[in-house]
Amino acid sequence: MTKTIRREIPIPQPREQVWRAITDSATLAEWMFPNDMEPRVGHQFTFRVPANPKVGFDGMIVHCEVLECEPPSRLAFSWSAGGLVDTRVSFQLEPDGEGTRVLFEHSGFDISESWSEQAFRGAEYGWAKMLGQLPAVVAARNASVRTKQE
Amino acid sequence: MVSTSDREPDVFTAISHPARRRMLDLLIEADRSVNVIAGHFEMSRPAVSQHLRILLDSGLVTEQRHGRERRYHFVPERLGPVRDWISQYERFWDDHLQRLQKLLSKKSEE
Repeated sequence: MTKTIRREIPIPQPREQVWRAITDSATLAEWMFPNDMEPRVGHQFTFRVPANPKVGFDGMIVHCEVLECEPPSRLAFSWSAGGLVDTRVSFQLEPDGEGTRVLFEHSGFDISESWSEQAFRGAEYGWAKMLGQLPAVVAARNASVRTKQE
Repeated sequence: MVSTSDREPDVFTAISHPARRRMLDLLIEADRSVNVIAGHFEMSRPAVSQHLRILLDSGLVTEQRHGRERRYHFVPERLGPVRDWISQYERFWDDHLQRLQKLLSKKSEE
């Protein structure tokens, strides 16, 4: 029972810019979290999800390792956090006219015997709190991004 | 044996065992009696019954009387929490990928 999240996102900017946004540590931090990413296979890094005392969230460390790195077309890294062990996040960047088509996957959501109830509850709690801090700004961003695409 | 939660039956615990997932696979096709289910496994009847008990407690399976025998019936709607768990991550990535799009459009305006 393994599940995969898949998304296909059109981006008007060329692949090189998108590649930078997903591999440059500072740029990556602007849309994800503070991190020490380096784009080379075997590099181990973390995302440091900040605490939010207002909602009782203690913060979270996501442990990652770069698994594939082929600029400017393919990046994959492992993702372990809370109840998720060695799931896999990947970005495939395909040219799309002047822009880029991003094929995103987060795979390996495995409900198997290695799962303990407690680990699951921890993950559930952490993510629920984390999602809780995403402000209404995201909705506003949504609207503006959609307008741009249309 | 993993115990189920005190407050509510836990679907995640119920599907955490490969034998119980196989039982659900059998029950997707048709309602079946414990004898028929046990026929697909090498384990003892009590062990099969114990697994079925966990499935019953979680609400993933119900039992219905058919004459002298009871048949087990799969209730797929009860898998909702599993779907919800995945959907949290879907929302997480939707939000962050939108931030990526926004960031790139902002940078290219600069």
